[in-house]
Amino acid sequence: MRLLLRFLAPHKALVAVTLLVLLLDNTGTLLVPTMLANMVNEGIGSGSMDHIVSGGLFMLGASVLASGGALTGAYLAARLASTVGRDIRNAIYDSSLKFSSSDFERFGTGSMITRSLNDINVVQQSIIATIQMVLPLPFLCVVGIIMACMIDWQMGLLLAAVTAVVLVIAGITIKNAAPIFMRLQELIDRMNVVLRESIIGVRVIRAFTKERHEERRLDEVFSDYASSAIKVNMMFAGVDAASFFLMNITEVAVLWLGGDRVGVHAMEIASISAVLEYAMLILFYIMAAQMVALTLPRAKACLDRAAEVINLTPEIADPEGRAARADAAQAEGADASDIVAAFDHASFRFSDADEDTLHDLDFVCRRGQTTAIIGSTGSGKSTVAKLLLRFHDVTQGSVRFCGRDVRDMTQAELRGRIAYVPQKAWLFSGTIASNLRFGNEDATEVEMRHALDVAQAEFVYEQTDRLDAKVAQGGTNFSGGQRQRLSIARAIMKRADLYIFDDSFSALDFKTDAALRRALKPETRNAAVLIIAQRISTILHAGQIVVLKDGVIQGLGTHEELMETCEVYRAIADSQMKGGENDGR
Amino acid sequence: MADNKLDANKMDAPEAPEAAGMSEFDENDRLEAEHEARAREALGLGGDDDDQPEVPRDTVATVRRLWAEAAGQRWRFAIVLVSVVCYTVFSVAAPAFSAHVIDALWTEIQAAFAQGRDFAVTWEHGGYEIAVYLGVWTAAFAFYATQTFTMAGFAEKLNLALRNRIASKLNRLPLAFFDAHKPGEIVSRATNDLDKMSEVLQTGLLRLFTAVGSIIGAIIMMFVYSPLLACIFLVFSAVAIGLTRFAAGKNLKLAAERQMWVGHLTGAVEEAYSGRIIIRSFNREQASSADIHRLSDKLADASRKADFFTNAAGPGIRFVGRVAQVVIAMIGCAMLIGGRLTVGTFQAFFQYIMQASEPMTQMSMTVNTLQSALASVERVFDILDEPEIESDPSPELAQHVIQPVHGRVAFEHVRFGYTTEKPLMYDVSFKAEPGQKIAIVGATGAGKTTLINLLMRFYEIDGGRITLDGVDTHAMSRAELRQNFGMVLQDAWLFDGTIAENIAYGKPDATREEIIEAAKMAHVDFFVRTMPAGYDTHVANDAENISQGQRQLLTIARTILTDPKILILDEATSSVDTRTEHAIVHAMENLMAGRTSFVIAHRLSTIVDADLILVMNAGTIIEQGTHAELLAEGGAYATLYNSQFM
Repeated sequence: MRLLLRFLAPHKALVAVTLLVLLLDNTGTLLVPTMLANMVNEGIGSGSMDHIVSGGLFMLGASVLASGGALTGAYLAARLASTVGRDIRNAIYDSSLKFSSSDFERFGTGSMITRSLNDINVVQQSIIATIQMVLPLPFLCVVGIIMACMIDWQMGLLLAAVTAVVLVIAGITIKNAAPIFMRLQELIDRMNVVLRESIIGVRVIRAFTKERHEERRLDEVFSDYASSAIKVNMMFAGVDAASFFLMNITEVAVLWLGGDRVGVHAMEIASISAVLEYAMLILFYIMAAQMVALTLPRAKACLDRAAEVINLTPEIADPEGRAARADAAQAEGADASDIVAAFDHASFRFSDADEDTLHDLDFVCRRGQTTAIIGSTGSGKSTVAKLLLRFHDVTQGSVRFCGRDVRDMTQAELRGRIAYVPQKAWLFSGTIASNLRFGNEDATEVEMRHALDVAQAEFVYEQTDRLDAKVAQGGTNFSGGQRQRLSIARAIMKRADLYIFDDSFSALDFKTDAALRRALKPETRNAAVLIIAQRISTILHAGQIVVLKDGVIQGLGTHEELMETCEVYRAIADSQMKGGENDGR
Repeated sequence: MADNKLDANKMDAPEAPEAAGMSEFDENDRLEAEHEARAREALGLGGDDDDQPEVPRDTVATVRRLWAEAAGQRWRFAIVLVSVVCYTVFSVAAPAFSAHVIDALWTEIQAAFAQGRDFAVTWEHGGYEIAVYLGVWTAAFAFYATQTFTMAGFAEKLNLALRNRIASKLNRLPLAFFDAHKPGEIVSRATNDLDKMSEVLQTGLLRLFTAVGSIIGAIIMMFVYSPLLACIFLVFSAVAIGLTRFAAGKNLKLAAERQMWVGHLTGAVEEAYSGRIIIRSFNREQASSADIHRLSDKLADASRKADFFTNAAGPGIRFVGRVAQVVIAMIGCAMLIGGRLTVGTFQAFFQYIMQASEPMTQMSMTVNTLQSALASVERVFDILDEPEIESDPSPELAQHVIQPVHGRVAFEHVRFGYTTEKPLMYDVSFKAEPGQKIAIVGATGAGKTTLINLLMRFYEIDGGRITLDGVDTHAMSRAELRQNFGMVLQDAWLFDGTIAENIAYGKPDATREEIIEAAKMAHVDFFVRTMPAGYDTHVANDAENISQGQRQLLTIARTILTDPKILILDEATSSVDTRTEHAIVHAMENLMAGRTSFVIAHRLSTIVDADLILVMNAGTIIEQGTHAELLAEGGAYATLYNSQFM
C-alpha cells in the first residue's frame, strides 16, 4: 500500500481531478430522478407545457453532466492507472539491474516477468475499478439520502436504513468471500501446475507405470477446485437473492410509507418512484463496489510482490563516492604490478546453504598468462568468475583486482576492465553489429570484422546481411557453436585487463577451438586470461591450471605438473583421453 | 557431430550441432522456448489472439454433445428453464401491477383530498394492493433464487466431469499427441477453456434467457401502454445497439493492440532478464533501462486507450438511454396532462424502459461470449476425441516374461515411421544380449530417441517385432514391459514435491537411507545437502534453484532406486561434465552388472567400450558393430570418430 501511495504521489492533481469529475457524474445521475419526479408533479399539478419543456431541458443538462463526467472520469482513471503502472514497471526493472546474482535468483526469471507484467496489469485494473466504483460510493450514498430527505425526511430515513442494511450485507460477504477467493486463485494455479507436470513428464510417468497415480492427483485438485468454486457461486447466489429480496421489501415499504406521506401533503405522488430509483442506484453501486472490493486482496498481493522487488536492498552496492576515489589514488602504485586478479583465501557461501560453495581460494591471474579452471558440475567453477565480476561477494577473504579489493571499486569501473564470455552464449535481438557494439559502442566496421575473425566467426560473412544480419532473441537463429563464437567476438571488442571465458569453447569442434585460442593469443597479450573449461584439450597449454573439486582447490600447476601430482586432475584427463591413440591436442 | 559427414541431417535439424556436448545447448533452447511459451500463456497470449470473436465450428452438434455430457444433471437445467419462464412472467407483470397500485393510491388520495381530509394507507385502502404487489415480486424472487442456486452447482459439476475425463484421457493418448502439442496448449484447454464454459453457463446463459424474456415482455407492455412511446424507445434502442456493436469491435481491436505491446514488452523483459549478466558485465544498464522504458511507455499508451474505451462504452451507451428517457418523459408528461396516461402507467412505462434497455445492450456482448465459450468447449471435445493408444492385451491373453528377466532385447525386421507416409526404419534388426552395453550415436535429429520410443512402446511399430527375452513386447501389457526398464531422459522431469519424494518416485516406500544411498551413487548427495532443507527441500518442475545438470543427477538417482533390469540413458550425461559422466557410467556399470543398458551419448569416450554401437542417421540405423569393427569398416562412424579426435 505504501508503495502505491509513493507512486501516486507525483500524480496527486490527477487523482483529485479524476475524483472530482466522477463526483459530477454521480451528481448528474442522482439529479435525474428528482427532476423527472418534479416534472410529473408540476405537470399534473399545473397542467402547463412550459414546465415540461424546461424540466426536460434540465434533465438533459443533468444527463450531459453525468455522462460527460463518466466519460472524462473513465479517461482520467485509465490515464492515471496506466501511468502509475508504467512507473511501477519501470521501477521494478531498474531495481533488478542493481541486483546481485543471489538477489535475482531469489525471484527467478519467470517470477520477475510475472511481477513486471501480469501483476502490474492486475494493479492497474484495480486502480481503475477502485477509482470508478469504490471511492465515489460514500458520496453517492450520502447525496442519495440527502436527495431523498429533500423529498421527505421520512423517506430519507427509510433510504438510510436500507443503505445501512445493504452495507452490512456487503461487508459480511467481503469478509467471508475474500479468503475463499484467494483459495480459488491458489487452486487455479495448482491445477495448472499439476496438469503441466503430468503432461511434460508423460514419458517418465509411463515408464514408471504411474498413470493411475497421476490421474488420482489430477482428480484431487479438480475436485478441490470444483467444490471451492461451487462454494463461491453459492455465496454469490445468496447475496444476489438477498439483495433482490431486500429490494422487494424496500419497494413495498416505499409504496406504503409514500402513500401515507402523500396523503398528508408531505410529498407528491411522482416522487415515490424517485425514492425507489435512489434505492436501486445505491444498491447497485454498493454491489458493484463489493465485487471490486473482493478483487482487492489479489491486487494487494500483486502490489506486495512488486514492492518486494523494489524495496529489496541490493546485496552488493557501490562504495561511497569519496572512499572509492581515495582508495583509487592509493592503489595507483599497485596497478603497475602484473597481478591483475588475486584471490586471497577467498570463500563463498550462499546465504541459505550450510556449506561453502567455494572454500579458501588462493591464486593470482597475471598479465600475459592464461589461468585455467577445471572441475566437475557443482564444483563452483562459474562462481569464481562471478566473484571476479562481483555478481557475488566473498563471504571470507578477499578478491583483488589490480591491487584493489573489488568491494572498494564501483561495479561499473570493475566490469569496464573485464571482458567476459558467459557460460550461456546469450545474444540480444537486433543485428550482429548491435550485439558486437555491446563491447564498444562506437566500434568501426574494421574493428568488428577483426573481432569476428579472431573468434573464427567467418560464417557471418555467409549471411546475406553480414554484420547487419538479424539476431533473434537469445540468438536462437544461430547454432550453439555460432552463438559461442559471436559472444566471444562481443567480448574481445572490449579492451580489458582481464578476459574471462566461462566454458566458452564447449560447443566448438576441436579444430575451431584450437584455431580460436591461437588467434586470441595476440589479442590478449597484455591482459590476464581466465578460462573455465570442462575439456582438458582446451586448457592443456594454460600457464597454470586450477583444479576445483567441491569448491576446494585440489591442485594448481601446469598440465605436466598436475599429471604428476594431482589425483583428481589425472582422473579427468584419463576419462577424456580414453580410446588411446591420441592426446586430444 | 561432424560437420562434414552428416550434412543430410541438417535438413531435419536446422540447428545441427557442431561438436560433442552440443545437445546441452539444444536442450537449453528447448527450455527457453518453453519458458517463453509459458510466459506468453500466463499473459493469455495463447493461440487465439486475433481480433475476431471466436465462432464455434458446429454450434448445434456441440450444444447437443454438451447436453449429452450433462446427463444426470439435466434436471437442474429443466428446473432452471421453468424458473426462467416463471420469473420472466412475474417480473414483467410487476411494473404493470405497480402501475395499478399507484393509480389506486392516487385515486384514493385525490378522493381524500377532494373531501379535504388526509389519507393514510390501510389494509382496505391500498394496503391490500401493496401486499399483492409484494406477492408478485416475492414470486419473481423465488424463481430468481431457484435458478441462480440451481445453476451455481450445475456448471462446475459438468466441468469437473469433463476435467476428470481429460485426466484419464491423458493416460490413454499416444505419445504422438504430446509430441505434437505444446504443454501449455493442453493445459489451457483443461483450465481456461472449461472455466470460460462454466462462467457462460452460470451467468451468460441465465442472463441471455432472462434478457430475451424481459425484452419481449417489456416491449409488449410498452406497446400496450403507448405505441408512440414504445416506438420512440425502439428507435433509441436501435442507436444504442449500433453503438454497442461499434464499441465491441473497437474494444477487441484496442485489446489486441494492448496485447501486442504486452507481448513486445514481455519479450524484451524476458530477454533482458535472461541476459542480465551480460548487460551488467558490459555496463549496459542505462541503455537497457532506456529500452525497457520506451516499450513500457508504448504499453502504457496502449493500455490507456484500451482501458478508456472499455470503461467509456458503458457511459456512452447509457447517455443514449438518458436522452431517450428525457424525450419519453417530455412526451409522456404531455400525454399525462392530456389525460392519455395515468401517473401509474407513466411510472410503469419507465420501469419497463429500465427492464428492457440494459439487457438489450448486453445482448450482443453475451452472444459473443456464448459463441467463444462454445468454441472453447469444442476444443475440449477435440482432446476427448483424439485417437487413443490400443488397449493392452486382456490379462488372460497377455504374455509374460519369466522373472527374473535376463534382459535380452532384440529388434527383428522392425519397420517404423512417425507417420505412415514417411517410414523411417524399413528393416532394422539387432540383438542386445543380457548384460551388454549398447551405444547409440548420431547427430541430433538422427532419431536416437526413436529407438527409445520403440523399446518402451511409447510408439507402436508398423512391422516386424521387438522381443524381450524372446517374448514379443506387443503381446505384453505395457506396465509389465516398462517395469523392466529404467530410464534417464533428456528432459529431467521433477514434480512438485520434496527432493526425497522425487527420488522415490518409482519406489514410494523407499526408506530415507535408500534414498540417500541412491543420491550418493548419482553424485548428487553433496548438492542436496547444500539445499536449504536438504532432502526435504521443496522443488517443482520449473524450479529455478536447480541446474539442468543437477536435475539430471536427481533423475539418475531416481532410476538407481528402482533397480531396473534394463537401463536406458537418454543423453542423460550431456550436461554433466566428463568426469561426473564417467563416475556415473561406472556407478551404473556396477549397479547394472549382468544387466542390459542402452546409452545415447555424444562423447565417444563412453562409447568405446560398448558391446554394440548403433549408428543412426535420418531415423534409422545405418551401421552397427563394435568400435574396432566400425573403425575398420571406415564408414560414417569412422568419420565421426576421427573428426572429433583429430
